[in-house]
Amino acid sequence: MTLAVVLVIAAIVALVLILRITISGRLQVADGSLTQPLQPVDLEAFQNLVDPAETAYLRQRLVSAEFRRVQRQRLRAMAGYLEIAGRNAAALIIIGQRALTSDDAQTIEAARRLVENALLLRRNTAFALIRIRIALAFPNAGPAAVGFLSGYEKLSAAAMLLGRLQQPGVPVRLSAS
Amino acid sequence: MLQAHSWPWNYVWVAPNVFLLALAVLLCQRGAWRRLPAFVAFAFLSAAGDLAVFAADVVPSVTPLTFWRISWLHLLVASLLKFLVIGEIFSRVFSSYPALSKLSRIVVSGFGAALVLAAAWIAAFGGGDSPLRLISGFHLLEQTVFLVECGLIVFVFLLAAYFRLSWDRFAFGVTLGLGISACEQLAAWAVVANASPSSHGRVLLAFLNMATYHAAVMIWIYYLLIPRKVVAKPAIPFPEHNLDLWNRELERLLQQ
Repeated sequence: MTLAVVLVIAAIVALVLILRITISGRLQVADGSLTQPLQPVDLEAFQNLVDPAETAYLRQRLVSAEFRRVQRQRLRAMAGYLEIAGRNAAALIIIGQRALTSDDAQTIEAARRLVENALLLRRNTAFALIRIRIALAFPNAGPAAVGFLSGYEKLSAAAMLLGRLQQPGVPVRLSAS
Repeated sequence: MLQAHSWPWNYVWVAPNVFLLALAVLLCQRGAWRRLPAFVAFAFLSAAGDLAVFAADVVPSVTPLTFWRISWLHLLVASLLKFLVIGEIFSRVFSSYPALSKLSRIVVSGFGAALVLAAAWIAAFGGGDSPLRLISGFHLLEQTVFLVECGLIVFVFLLAAYFRLSWDRFAFGVTLGLGISACEQLAAWAVVANASPSSHGRVLLAFLNMATYHAAVMIWIYYLLIPRKVVAKPAIPFPEHNLDLWNRELERLLQQ
């Protein structure tokens, strides 16, 4: 009887998940706009957080318990940045997939590249977040979110290219004015 | 009214299979079988198999042993085809994205293997609801198949939702119908195999199973036969202000 109850609850949860994903997913497509705006990521600050030299410096300067406390705070901050980057990647996947239906071959190619880079980044942020969650339990081991930066740069370049192709009148800033 | 072999009973057993056969024929006529070969095979063989089970149930000369043998054969063939359909959907959703295709294959294979082990372990705990192994084994196998099917479909949904992948209409319709049907049937077969419901309770659960399957067939017909309204979707403009902020952070890195 207990087994039946557990399986019935599991089936109900699965059904709710399927229906929820179906409804929310379709609304997102039908809406035609981004449900979440792109958020800036302070890459410089992130770079400091993942810098092994910074970690080694802190390890040298702080006593063990204090280092673990500080390292956990840094890991939480890293996770925060990665979550924002993951959300940005998701938003760009939606933009890119919509642009794939364009009539212009150049736009389609740019959109395809954007989707591919955004998927890679979303995948890598997911892995990096898992590693950070594990590292929170063992803060002495070094975190591994370094590969994230190059992926983010590629994604930004792809997004800018598509932005320029879709809205040629709107300049997308690449260099500081 | 909700009795075995009543009019509603015969309708919810036969009608979805007739509709499914008609759907398979129409898909073949339209050449859509090339896009979903496993689903078309499932539609033909599963519908024909279920109608054979119905015939075995109503024809007086068929012995109970023969009825259960036909049911077993139908269950095995339909289950195998359903897993092929899930594989086909999976391929349609993920294979066009090189960044995900290899990873998703590994993850889903691993998850599928874990689900099979978990379902077998759960089935081993279920004592069975009948002294006849032919019947109790059938109910446990139904529970096991729907547990694995339900888990795989939820996993594909979650993975696609996480990566915000757009589904084509065929794959989405087939997955939605299979998913709804699998969840309901998992719950029903779990009750039948483990909670020993009364005879009337079993009849009601059978009604629920068949009605849900009917709904799933209607979902397939809607998504596979009725063309989508062609609405020109405007490209989503980049949110200028946000991208500007985002770029500013990028510039700081590039200028280093």
